[in-house]
Amino acid sequence: MAAGEWQGRFTDGLVDRGVHPAEADELARDAVLEAEGAGLDPASLYGPAVAYAVAMARTVRDARVNAAPLARERGEVVLRLHEVTKRYRRRQALPPTSLTLRAGEVAAVVGANGSGKSTLLNLCAGLVRASSGTVERTPRIGYAPQQDGVAPLLTATEHFRLFGAAYGMAPRRAVATGRHLASQLGWTPRRDGIAGHLSGGTQQKLNVVLSELDRPDLILLDEPYQGFDHGSYVDFWDQVFTWRDAGAGVLVVTHLLHELDRVDHVLELAAVTGA
Amino acid sequence: MLLTVTATTLREVVRRPTALLLVFALPLVFYLVRLDVPWQAIRFLAIGVGWAIATLSLFSHVSSRHLDQRLAVVGASPSALFLGRQLALLGIGAVVAACYLGVVLLTQDEIPRMGGIVLLLVTTVLISAPLGALVSLIIGRELEGALALLSVMALQLLVDPEERAAGLLPLWSTRELSAYAIEDHATASLAPGLAHFAATLALCTAIGWAASVIRLTPVRLATPGERH
Repeated sequence: MAAGEWQGRFTDGLVDRGVHPAEADELARDAVLEAEGAGLDPASLYGPAVAYAVAMARTVRDARVNAAPLARERGEVVLRLHEVTKRYRRRQALPPTSLTLRAGEVAAVVGANGSGKSTLLNLCAGLVRASSGTVERTPRIGYAPQQDGVAPLLTATEHFRLFGAAYGMAPRRAVATGRHLASQLGWTPRRDGIAGHLSGGTQQKLNVVLSELDRPDLILLDEPYQGFDHGSYVDFWDQVFTWRDAGAGVLVVTHLLHELDRVDHVLELAAVTGA
Repeated sequence: MLLTVTATTLREVVRRPTALLLVFALPLVFYLVRLDVPWQAIRFLAIGVGWAIATLSLFSHVSSRHLDQRLAVVGASPSALFLGRQLALLGIGAVVAACYLGVVLLTQDEIPRMGGIVLLLVTTVLISAPLGALVSLIIGRELEGALALLSVMALQLLVDPEERAAGLLPLWSTRELSAYAIEDHATASLAPGLAHFAATLALCTAIGWAASVIRLTPVRLATPGERH
């Protein structure tokens, strides 16, 4: 089925189930864009348009119910960006950006392709140096990149041991923690299955679990839900808010706009047009 | 951390059986092609072992780059990541060298210094693992890196070892050490061979390690102050 036809049926399905037409349009556009980003037809990624609309409409309703802000305490600042920019030679990769994120808060970074979302996350992680401005952050972080976050020839258990060693955890504790966190995303890792044989969505679950293995103070996530099915997607956002309520700061790059009313900060990056 | 990285790297290599088979087969091809001229066969064997281990090292370091960056960001020591992988590659190299020592023992019966063959294979492996890492840090892509190694090894095979510039090639020591192992009166080859080996090993390891640490060390970020 062509992407346009799938988008039309999906929009109609959402509207039929009580989603506002403007929001339905937006959700459908997001879904098609995400499928394009993954190099797949929407039908391959999400399944039949009407079935996906039923599930998505339920999520939208749940999100509205959960949108009421929690009475919670904000902690210390875990990330502070002040007028941070990044240039690669003459090309500006990130326009001046500022943000203050405290423990117990979630910030979403949104923007068009090429607006510098991943660059911003790399700056926060310390993978690249800012061209100007300052980045301050807590030392204990978890980081889930968009791509190449896992080793295809290692099993989940071996990943837990390896990342546990990096965090200074005992191997047995790292494996037990990893398996517990995986179960919260609805996944039970097999002991002998290597990551390269997992589905894209399950690889991303492993990617997310590795980022939270040692209960960091700040979790940086770069669109980690690509390939998730609907249930996993809901579990993922539940998990984000669980981390928040447990006192972690969470910075998540996303372009799925229907979750934005649940986060504390929305950092919208403008498209970078050139030098 | 070091031993965990070593164990992880070994597992990754073992899970690519075809690649591992070719790593073992490549030196055999080099050896068999000149079996009629024993001294050349043994020198070619050493270069084959070196090429196989250097290529394995190149691919291992290139393919682990993103994961190593991620590990370094969350607290892994860049030195442990580099040295852990090197340790695993040296272990595999040692097994390859031991196998071919057995092949030489079985197929050559007029070698005056069998200890020289051991020395030749061990020094070749010790140079090749950091050499592959060094190429991976300079070039950073598998195909381009493999072609660069191919060029170096082709030069190594084709260039006249007597030429002064030949000493700039990383495995020049194999010629001296193979002469020491095979020729009755070539004891004078030992010292220059070992000196070249030591210099190459020190250079490849030091530059590879330093470049790896520089590349993997995350940017130092200040902790948010209390004043805000």
